[in-house]
Amino acid sequence: MADGTIKIDGRTVPFEKGDTVIKAAYKAGVDIPHYCWHPGLSAPANCRMCLVDVEPPPGRPKMQLDVLRWDAGKNDYITVKKTKLIPACQQACSDGMSVLSDTSEEVAVARKEVQELLLLNHPVDCPICDQAGECDLQDYWLEHDRTKKRMMDEPVHKPKAIVFGETIVYDAERCIMCTRCIRVSEELAKDPVLDMRQRGNRNEVFVAPGRELDHNYSLMTEHVCPVGALTSSHFRFKARVWFLRSGRTVCQGCATGCNAHLDFDPRDNTPYRYRPRDNEAVNGYWMCDKGMLSYPEAHEGRLENALVGGEDAALKEALEQAAEKLSALRSLRKTASINGEEGAEPSRIAIVLSAQHSCEDNFALAYVAKEFFGAKDLFVARRADGEADGILMVADRNPNTAGVSLVAETLGFATPRPFATLIEGVAQGRYDHVVSLGGEVDVDANKAKDKLSRLKAFVSFATHEGTLPQVAHVALPATSWAEAAGTYINKQGLRQEAEQVLAPRGDAHPAWQLVVALARQLGFALSWKKRADILALLFPAPSDDAGAHAVSQNAPAQLEVQP
Amino acid sequence: MLQRTDHLTKRYGIPDGFTLTRYLADGGYVQARRALSMTREELVNECKAANLRGRGGAGFPMGVKWSFMAPTVAPGRPHYLVINADEGEPGTFKDRSMMEGDPHATVEGCIIGCRAIGAHVAYIYVRDELHLAKDRLWAAIREAKAKGFLGAKPFGVDYAVEVYVHSGAGAYICGEETSLLNSLEGRRGEPRLKPPFPAQAGAFGMPTTVNNLESIATVPALMRLGGDNFSKISSLHPKEGGSRLYGVSGHVNTPGIFECAVGLTLRELIYDLGGGVKGGELLAVIPGGSSTPILRADELVEAPNESHPLHAWHGMSVLDVPMGVETFRGLGTMLGTCCATVLSDKACPVLAMHNLMRFYRHESCGQCTPCREGSGWLERLLDTIVAGNGTMDDLNRLHEVANSIMGNTICAFGEGTAMPALGFLKKFRREFEEYIRTGGRSSTNRLALAQPAAE
Ligand SMILES: Cc1cc2nc3c(=O)[nH]c(=O)nc-3n(C[C@H](O)[C@H](O)[C@H](O)COP(=O)(O)O)c2cc1C
Ligand code: SF4
Ligand code: SF4
Ligand code: FES
Repeated sequence: MADGTIKIDGRTVPFEKGDTVIKAAYKAGVDIPHYCWHPGLSAPANCRMCLVDVEPPPGRPKMQLDVLRWDAGKNDYITVKKTKLIPACQQACSDGMSVLSDTSEEVAVARKEVQELLLLNHPVDCPICDQAGECDLQDYWLEHDRTKKRMMDEPVHKPKAIVFGETIVYDAERCIMCTRCIRVSEELAKDPVLDMRQRGNRNEVFVAPGRELDHNYSLMTEHVCPVGALTSSHFRFKARVWFLRSGRTVCQGCATGCNAHLDFDPRDNTPYRYRPRDNEAVNGYWMCDKGMLSYPEAHEGRLENALVGGEDAALKEALEQAAEKLSALRSLRKTASINGEEGAEPSRIAIVLSAQHSCEDNFALAYVAKEFFGAKDLFVARRADGEADGILMVADRNPNTAGVSLVAETLGFATPRPFATLIEGVAQGRYDHVVSLGGEVDVDANKAKDKLSRLKAFVSFATHEGTLPQVAHVALPATSWAEAAGTYINKQGLRQEAEQVLAPRGDAHPAWQLVVALARQLGFALSWKKRADILALLFPAPSDDAGAHAVSQNAPAQLEVQP
Repeated sequence: MLQRTDHLTKRYGIPDGFTLTRYLADGGYVQARRALSMTREELVNECKAANLRGRGGAGFPMGVKWSFMAPTVAPGRPHYLVINADEGEPGTFKDRSMMEGDPHATVEGCIIGCRAIGAHVAYIYVRDELHLAKDRLWAAIREAKAKGFLGAKPFGVDYAVEVYVHSGAGAYICGEETSLLNSLEGRRGEPRLKPPFPAQAGAFGMPTTVNNLESIATVPALMRLGGDNFSKISSLHPKEGGSRLYGVSGHVNTPGIFECAVGLTLRELIYDLGGGVKGGELLAVIPGGSSTPILRADELVEAPNESHPLHAWHGMSVLDVPMGVETFRGLGTMLGTCCATVLSDKACPVLAMHNLMRFYRHESCGQCTPCREGSGWLERLLDTIVAGNGTMDDLNRLHEVANSIMGNTICAFGEGTAMPALGFLKKFRREFEEYIRTGGRSSTNRLALAQPAAE
């Protein structure tokens, strides 16, 4: 809600109480060049790139300073007036305030001067810099400077390739001393492990003696670094950003579901990094290190082919084998009505949903289990809890715990029980058929293997190699979150969509498609052709359906669903 | 007008001048005792009547500054008095003389100042290198405390006052008041953004007044005389009042600190007090510390317009204008710390500017781009020129770089660098051109750091 308006170059821009000029401009999509300011951090106003001309209140004179100009004709200096400019990141908005930015000649001069000064001692080693192509120094030089270097002396030399910690390498010569990295550590990670040392143009960022930059947001220092001074040891010298494409996804690291960009090289279908995707309602501007470093899971340790009895198999053959193994369920279909005259057999079927799979995958399996198998007993495969960091990362390390609950509830199942309970049940001989989603489980893998190997039939849909696909009679290869669009519900109950980013590896298909294929193989009629067919059943929201499915850059995600 | 006074310097040079016994014999601490029976408003008004302009450089009226402090102390938001004795400005050594020569005046001033702004604690931030000054201040505090002048009930009055000495962090920038507050708190000494101003959020985030050491040490004297009488000592009364310390150094025969009524002229300071120029004729003078733009000895006041504040001195030498905050602003320079640095005609202005710019490059905190990089560039350009390799382009770049610092920085260090740079250029353009044309050889008869190699 606006508390007033200001004018920027004559354009009306609303502001909320407490907004600075740059914040109001940012929210209105008006670009004021800046280095040190970041919407998620405090404003030190040190880079001076955002200087603007704030018109004084009516009746008050402009603040001006005397400077010199050389007048060749007079062969002498003349004193001229210079307007005192104010950093837009420091200036608080007040109603009716008028600000000149792109339309002021003096502002243009100031930007050019700051830009030239920032490059004065800069090594300009763009060809070997990872930031090239997404560097503010490069962009602003083109936009605001465009003059040749005028200082031809040897630039100031400073430490290079300093290892700050396992994730970050620092080059003091490229650093523009904006202190964003220092503020990320202090304000976001609550671990003031970085600071500035030395003075003047000898300044450099350093790590507190005896420490490493090892908090869970170390990669955010690199993320906010507007130049190539901080590089990620995981991305360093690996790719040129202009070859990368980017997809909008949701981090799978925990139930927070941070919005992310997954950057990949389309030429080799390989992901290279995550970047946070701003969403005030979920992750602000940030992601934690654990999440940031989970991008290789899109292609590492994957189940790329079907397995029959632990051996690679063609997908078609595996589906046939799976149907064969589950043939008892086919006959059961003939005797047990959908309306649930419960025979003894359905109660011996256990269905495992996965908190690591999308709502679509879970719904497809649960639907088939209910409608065709008549199954009653739902379990959930989930990654074991870890420690919450008190910032973004929560203990629940699964992206879709709430989604699993919603699916179960929608289809009238009782709350899915822990995987350990299933193992106990199997040990007691209560189940003989198990169909499962997901690979990773929160129980001891050997114990699980031992018990599950006694089953009459065990079919597993999995994205990654793991305990379940390994012991299953048949394992079917599912696409990872990066290879198929999917819907996830985070711990706040926000429904979020991840786009397909990468092409599927090997024989991998979305798990929901594999479920449909298996059902058909078993002789059940299922007409679903696309994801939307499933989503329409799970989220019947006829009026604002379209909006609910779109993932937009800054908007709080979609439709609230109470888990 | 030369008028020597001894309100501040009576005990200077006396062997036991810094002791409590001597201070008491001269009527010391009477004013502190009296102040504790006065209201904050009465004290602030006394200070306003004295027209005491801050002695730290900016010349802000001290009474007005005190009045910025919240009239009532909010719960959990104690007020602090912080005394700036960092004294890092080249050419300036007046505060040091007070701390060493008469430390009790500072302690007494702190008691009065605390009372005036509602504070119970004063921190005196002393430049690290001034060991004798710190020792003398601590000794004075201990003596005063032993007598019951400080502590929970000074003079038996239920108004606690404690005074502490804090060693500076060894950087010129720590003299800038917000940088000083950071340093006092144990942080990196770099200036804070304003607003908030110290009176709103200063030391430890609490309302704070920062006064220069001379400013606070003058308070007992102004209380003794009464604000109005104190102000009238000055020939510039009522614009600025009292007497203050004048310093002169450089190429003079008797450099030193002299207490005079406000309104002294540079000519009096250099010739009558400083004993005249040493080894040559007067070339120029930096009036109040290195950040104040230089004045040439042959400059005349240009103020034909009757409304000009300096009209009375129109056509006269700048050396004959009384040294005041506003008069010197009118001359296009600043009064600053009131400690003048004298250059004889044996000095080379190019080398002098180089020396200054080396200082500023070295002392910039490096927070903001124009100052960090601009001060470095100025030094680089002067390195080149001084080495005899400069071009006219380099010369013309100097003012462009200085212009780009002006007004664009977080703190006044930026202007403190750019203004003297522009001053040197404007006043000595011909000398610079000559230096560049001859590769520095024309200045061989001047005081040079290094003589250019003979061909
Ligand atoms: C770069 C810089 C250095 C300064 N150094 C000093 C100093 O050493 N001592 C001082 O009293 N004031 C210094 N000042 C001025 C202080 O910021 C402040 O204005 C002063 O302490 C206020 O005291 P006053 O009002 O009594 O003059 C400096 C200012 C700047 C910008
Ligand atoms: S390393 Fe990057 S983020 Fe940190 S101060 Fe330097 S330029 Fe800014
Ligand atoms: S002007 Fe210079 S000294 Fe002041 S904050 Fe900026 S860099 Fe630091
Ligand atoms: S963005 Fe750096 S000063 Fe405003």
